[in-house]
Amino acid sequence: MTAAAMLQMDPSVTPSSLLPAVARGEISAFEDLYDRYSSTLYALLIRILGNCEDAQEVLQETFVKAWTSAKMFDAVRGSEVAWLISIARSRGIDRLRSRRIRSDREDEAGREISVVSGFVDRTSGADQAIQSEQRVAVRGALTELPDAQRQALELAYFEGLSQSEIAERLHEPLGTVKTRMQLGMKKLRDRLQAFR
Amino acid sequence: MNHDEFEAIAALDAVGAATAEEARSLAAHAESCDACRRARDEYAEAATLLARGLEPVLPPAEVRERIAGISEPSNIAEAEYRFSTWWLATAATLFLALWGWREIGIRVARERIATQQAEIHGLSEEKNRLAAQNEKLASIAGADTRTIALAGQEMSPLASARVFLDPTRRRAIVFFYNLPSNPTDKSYQLWIIRGDQPNPQSAGVFDVTASGNASISIDNLPVMTEIRALAVTLEPRGGAEQPTEKKFYVMGGMS
Repeated sequence: MTAAAMLQMDPSVTPSSLLPAVARGEISAFEDLYDRYSSTLYALLIRILGNCEDAQEVLQETFVKAWTSAKMFDAVRGSEVAWLISIARSRGIDRLRSRRIRSDREDEAGREISVVSGFVDRTSGADQAIQSEQRVAVRGALTELPDAQRQALELAYFEGLSQSEIAERLHEPLGTVKTRMQLGMKKLRDRLQAFR
Repeated sequence: MNHDEFEAIAALDAVGAATAEEARSLAAHAESCDACRRARDEYAEAATLLARGLEPVLPPAEVRERIAGISEPSNIAEAEYRFSTWWLATAATLFLALWGWREIGIRVARERIATQQAEIHGLSEEKNRLAAQNEKLASIAGADTRTIALAGQEMSPLASARVFLDPTRRRAIVFFYNLPSNPTDKSYQLWIIRGDQPNPQSAGVFDVTASGNASISIDNLPVMTEIRALAVTLEPRGGAEQPTEKKFYVMGGMS
């Protein structure tokens, strides 16, 4: 049985939430939180900012926010990883807009940094296996989206473009773009249950 | 606005693509509507799948060290305990106070900058919305604007529509009249039938209320190619990639 399947059948396999302990000021929980999610958040920030230096600064800001605002996390509204991703994405897009670095994007940044030596992966083996299985499953869900829907969603999510900017970029009517994004999001929402 | 319309906004808001006005109206509505609040939260969670599908990249070790330092005042307290000299304790306290004050100052400044950036972004969106409205008015009143009538079809013979086609701005604004209001699980969808493509192209979805009237604006109209006709079908809520119904509600040639 795969780890993803185990996740769905056995709630005890799901990594326990660390944010309540972080909210109580437990430093070890904060370090575990970093080890568990930093590589996901860093990949997201590199994708948004296309620049490792900016991505590291915003990653730091994200964890400062997590440390100071952990008590604001509400598990009823969403998962721990989604909460952290929302903070990182929001700050990444703010940085992107304020520094206007869109034109300087380094498309290969992700690949470059992955070969830099000196990293210590502290994610536990169990967490790694679960995250890896989940990532494969998430990618499966994303590849089910028609290319046009995924492209419109990615332009909004990773580049912070507005509806009209996306329509302009794709040379499509605004209504077409809105419909594509709404259909794409509906499909992702339908698949969400498998990843909670 | 009904729940379905708020859900449609929630889908866009999750990827940051709702306009400032849409985001504000959704936030206000979600305060008092459990279903829409749940939909908003689920869409927000679903959007994070886009990030969760990326190949993870390990940050350099020094980033971890810097971040771990965020929570280190207690280490200084331990040092205070080990070296119980009063002056060291005083110095540590003073350092903590200054350090804490500086950190608070930096955080407050960052929060203020973030808030101001959000306000600037909101004002900019508002300005864009007003500019878009002016553009639409200009399109309707433009010297080159053509007016084309669309007629009700088999599904709604009494319906009609008027198209204001502004080739200069590559825009068309369509006003619909006497269309039956759509069921909550359906949306009307406007299609462009082009001479250079075998399949119709979606120009957007819209709802019709009890008044029977609605309007939709088509931007980036492909004016360089032959637009043979515009047609409206009733589709599943949110629209479809291609028409699922062969019966039209309103249709008309553009030439």
